[in-house]
Amino acid sequence: MNVSARAEGGMIGRPTPRIDGRLKVTGAARYPSDVILEDTAYAFLVMSTIARGRIKEFDLTEAQAVDGVLDILTYENTKGKVRKSRYFMRGGYAASSVVPLESPKIWHDGQIVAMVVAETYEAAREAAYKVRVESSAREAAPGFDERRPQPRQTPHIFAGSEPQVGDAETAFQDSDVQIDAYYTTPTQHHNAIELYTTTCVWSGDQLTVHEPSQYVHGLKNGLAKQLGIKPEKVRAVSPFIGGAFGAKAALTSRTALVAIAAKRLNRPVKLVATRQQGFTVSTYRAETQHHIKLGADRSGRLMSLSHEGWEVSSRSDDYKVAGTETTALLYACPNVFTRVNIVHADRSTPGFMRSPAEVPYVFALESAMDELAAALSMDPVELRRINDTRVSPIDQKPFSSRSLRTCYDRAAEAFGWSKRNPVPGSMQDGEWLVGWGCATACYPTNVAPAEARVTLAPNGTARVQTAGHDLGTGAYTAIALTAAEFLGVSLESINVELGDSTLPPAPVAGGSNATASICNAVAQACEDIRDRLARAAVQSGGALRGADATSIRLSRGALVSADGRSEELKESLSRLGFGPIEGFSKYVPEVASLPIRIMGHTLLSRGLPVMTIGTSAGDHVQYAFGAEFVEVRVHERTREIRVPRLVGAFAAGRIVSPTTARSQLLGALIWGVASALHEETEIDERVTRYVNKDLADYMIPVNADIRDVEVILVPEEDHKVNALGIKGLGELGNVGTNAAIANAVYHATGRRIRDLPIRIEDLL
Amino acid sequence: MDTYSPLKTPSLSQRNGSMTAVNLVLSVNGRDYRLTLDARVTLLDALREQLSLTGTKKGCDQGQCGACTVHVDGRRILSCLTLAASVEGKAITTIEGLADEGGLHPMQQAFMDHDAFQCGYCTPGQIMSAVACVTEGLAETDDDIREYMSGNLCRCAAYPNIVAAIKQARIDMQRGRS
Amino acid sequence: MRPFAYERAGDLVSAVTAATIEADSQIRAPIQFLAGGTTLLDLMKIDVMRPERLIDINPLEKSLSEISFDRSGLRLGALARMSAVAHHPDVEREYPVISQALKLGASAQLRNMATLGGNVLQRTRCPYFRDVSWHACNKRDPGSGCSARQGLNRNHAVLGTSDHCIAAYPGDFAQALIALDATVSIAGSKGDRRIPFSDLHRLPADTPHIETTLSPGELITEFHFPARPWARRSLYLKVRDRESYEFAVASAVVALDLADGVVRDIRIALGGVATVPWRSLAAEDALRGKPLDESRAGMAAEAAFATAKTFGGNDFKPELGRATLVRALLAVAMLEVRS
Repeated sequence: MNVSARAEGGMIGRPTPRIDGRLKVTGAARYPSDVILEDTAYAFLVMSTIARGRIKEFDLTEAQAVDGVLDILTYENTKGKVRKSRYFMRGGYAASSVVPLESPKIWHDGQIVAMVVAETYEAAREAAYKVRVESSAREAAPGFDERRPQPRQTPHIFAGSEPQVGDAETAFQDSDVQIDAYYTTPTQHHNAIELYTTTCVWSGDQLTVHEPSQYVHGLKNGLAKQLGIKPEKVRAVSPFIGGAFGAKAALTSRTALVAIAAKRLNRPVKLVATRQQGFTVSTYRAETQHHIKLGADRSGRLMSLSHEGWEVSSRSDDYKVAGTETTALLYACPNVFTRVNIVHADRSTPGFMRSPAEVPYVFALESAMDELAAALSMDPVELRRINDTRVSPIDQKPFSSRSLRTCYDRAAEAFGWSKRNPVPGSMQDGEWLVGWGCATACYPTNVAPAEARVTLAPNGTARVQTAGHDLGTGAYTAIALTAAEFLGVSLESINVELGDSTLPPAPVAGGSNATASICNAVAQACEDIRDRLARAAVQSGGALRGADATSIRLSRGALVSADGRSEELKESLSRLGFGPIEGFSKYVPEVASLPIRIMGHTLLSRGLPVMTIGTSAGDHVQYAFGAEFVEVRVHERTREIRVPRLVGAFAAGRIVSPTTARSQLLGALIWGVASALHEETEIDERVTRYVNKDLADYMIPVNADIRDVEVILVPEEDHKVNALGIKGLGELGNVGTNAAIANAVYHATGRRIRDLPIRIEDLL
Repeated sequence: MDTYSPLKTPSLSQRNGSMTAVNLVLSVNGRDYRLTLDARVTLLDALREQLSLTGTKKGCDQGQCGACTVHVDGRRILSCLTLAASVEGKAITTIEGLADEGGLHPMQQAFMDHDAFQCGYCTPGQIMSAVACVTEGLAETDDDIREYMSGNLCRCAAYPNIVAAIKQARIDMQRGRS
Repeated sequence: MRPFAYERAGDLVSAVTAATIEADSQIRAPIQFLAGGTTLLDLMKIDVMRPERLIDINPLEKSLSEISFDRSGLRLGALARMSAVAHHPDVEREYPVISQALKLGASAQLRNMATLGGNVLQRTRCPYFRDVSWHACNKRDPGSGCSARQGLNRNHAVLGTSDHCIAAYPGDFAQALIALDATVSIAGSKGDRRIPFSDLHRLPADTPHIETTLSPGELITEFHFPARPWARRSLYLKVRDRESYEFAVASAVVALDLADGVVRDIRIALGGVATVPWRSLAAEDALRGKPLDESRAGMAAEAAFATAKTFGGNDFKPELGRATLVRALLAVAMLEVRS
């Protein structure tokens, strides 16, 4: 079914204020953290302070003596209560294989070792501070052993993640110009402003969990599995999410504990993990190392590309992002070698953080490309142009669309790139050294199965229901625009319900798949409605009798045929029964593989990860692209680094909601600034513990750090990615920004910084 | 004076032990609430957990993010580092009390017009801070707005849109005053 | 947060009398004054401070927050809020460095809350001090050791350190106080006293847990800045990783009395690099009576950091500190100052 042919409303692509805006600016939007229930008891976590070892003994005397304490969960009274849910990368739900409060074993610093529940938050916190944990610590491994790693530290097999073609090493040796360099990226934490909170309440054997979530169906099913109850006995509610960025996708160890406490006390229990605890309650972006070798001929054409990555994971799990899948196909190159290694350390299991694979891996490649341009004395934009490709260099599959060159053209022009003096250190404004740099942004177009229910009432109002999520991405608005378009009604008449596991299942809001997956599902549900109304209308004795049903569309509260006849919606609806009509769809991505076609909706209803990723989309590869230009300023004496200007041009297929898409890209560019200059979780390697666990010491940009940011939406049509032609873009904008900034720092100072973040001391 | 009964009535004063209860009246958005609280309760937790005024957000609980910004006697402050007991008798305004019932403050309207938020969780704090920024006379230039709004972190990074919203609302607010 | 009794101060005398109690230092006393609360409540929440009784001195604000300027100098009540002083026209005009130091500290909300008295007494940001799960911290638990010396110490001090503590003093305003020869008025149950600001803070030495010379129950009531020729030609330069809302990586206060390009008198203080508010007499001496140019500024900066000691993560700080001071010196010499 080609739903795009039905679109006539002019709603998709229309700039509009987000439809949930009023709730957000008035404080009326109820985030999961805002749920206040009668008779709530409050929980407070106690975390391990060693990274590896065993708990020898608890002394709870002092804690239990605190007025109002109701319960203290430790492994001694909770082990066996939480069943194992498999790690999400192994086909389960959990952010880690470690089962909460299962045993005295300590896997990492900041592991939950106890949870105090009390009448008030104040009492719970006080008692938690009074829990005494005696443990025996063993020596712990913090991460990489060496600054420059050894190849292949684990024998783990990465099916499909290590693309290779030709003979990269020989081609490198034979190249006229060679770049051979190491790059590193630091540990980073999402630090969404909404904390990791959970409220659980039982009504008989029915559990409701209020928790900020990017995947309510995963949360529901995973929690049911952990508690050994049927999934239908669990409801997960998260209509708003105060920032997620990947951290609220997999099931963390706190949730089951709150559910168990609520059951034991037979009253609601609310947990608000502190900002500090949040550094190990959920996941993080682990540090990475990269070895890049580029070989090119004198004209700048790549002859050899080699990218080996090293990533840190926990002892318990093989988390990896393996970004060479992307870096191997960014540019034309006949010889490509890639390899990815995992180094296990005594840390919590890392997880997705906005553009998980691309942020670290593209930083390395796009820095190396800038080094190559410098070695060739070539304009870095020209180098990208020369090496642009229409097909994947690995298997020659075509890109479904690729507007990288147009993005570079548009962004370069808006930025004024032609005025750049290429000599490092040549541009200065008063006391500030000025540098201009650029880099490529790219992100795979992932699409997942999704379900949606649309209900259209005789008065022209409609209700759209799907268990998708609006993380601030604008999902409410994009979905409403899609429904308004296909139902031919105004935006105001659409009511969208998201973030509740009682709604038809939708995929995790991750991998930038949500807009494509859900809007296609909604369009199909609307088409279901249109089709039924139209077929009944043409067979009736009404105004549309005998018309071609397929040509009838919904417009302004009426059914309209191609020959100009029309009938009021009310009348069409009354023919099919009393009241509203319900449309339902189970969208299967057009590019899905056979297993996903067969099993996709079963997996989806079980809350399991199921997605067609951009590199396995049948006979082509599908990616969104962008080009980013930045200006940095470095003080000539004191070396503060500021970024007064960013320009990004992005092509991501059809843009459903330009207002919110623009905001996504704007925020992502600023994320790129943060990742280049500000963010780093510091580890005290003596004991493998994080040290800067708050928002004063873990820095993200403040308002004063950001000045001019320009986002250019480059029009792009792509009929291969899905019926509506949508590519995701939430994770596109912060890919490459860190390299663009590092490249600009080089241009300003002549200093090539290959280790992020770039700080004052790197430039003194 | 309205007497407000909290959802739960922890009878702190009746308990023995170390906890100290305080009886107080909080004046929030023009309404008085009589409360008995543990002396440790912050204004933020009192607003959220006792009065169900959850528009004021907890983002760090230690003065590092600005999500809990409210006005006390017209000045923007952080409710997470303020004891509820210490603001008895002062006029507290939260996001819920910024505009008349059913209406929008020009700043709220401007934030919508400029898409000055994404997830929206820092937004009430941003708006309370922004209103004060204008009334303090510290929103006259873009640089001033950026500097004097730097106490409100936005992880979604809507900063340029926030600046644009404040510039619009500043004009509307100044027009409204004259 | 541990339980505490909360009470409001009725008047100054009864407040200081009520707070007078036996303790090895003021900050470790079981009775604490609550003013802005921005340091105290923060540290109580994370269990670093555990007072049993809080005396809320905000009711004394009216009498202790006066800002007055006359020929003898500037008086600032200790309960004046940072924002009120920062934007006060007399302060902005006559003592620009005070206004700048206050405006560049914390955030607008925190400046509306924090008082001047609390500001100068703010505690270090050393993460090992601020997290009680680190066993070794001599400042928190005397004799337990120092986690920072061999730990992560990018933000730690290079001046005034000891074997027992290298935690940096985090404030901005105090650098203006120490540079401008300010004095502090203190009320106590045994009577009032007035001391040079430079006598308020104590080097960590072997007692880093005793941070000031205040006795338990003593309360700062006022700061006094004398009128001096260098006050108007003064500035505060704060260098940090982000543009705002961050503690100084390095900072400098310079107040200069310049005549025909020659330094008649000068005051220099350094922030972000020392364990206490840090006046650099060595740097001042290197410039007094000399022309102020790039090379002289560099010599002064060398002198300022001649005794610096680094610990790994902060190896860059002497160089950054010197660059910061040179930049501040050259900038202050260029200022247009009307007489």
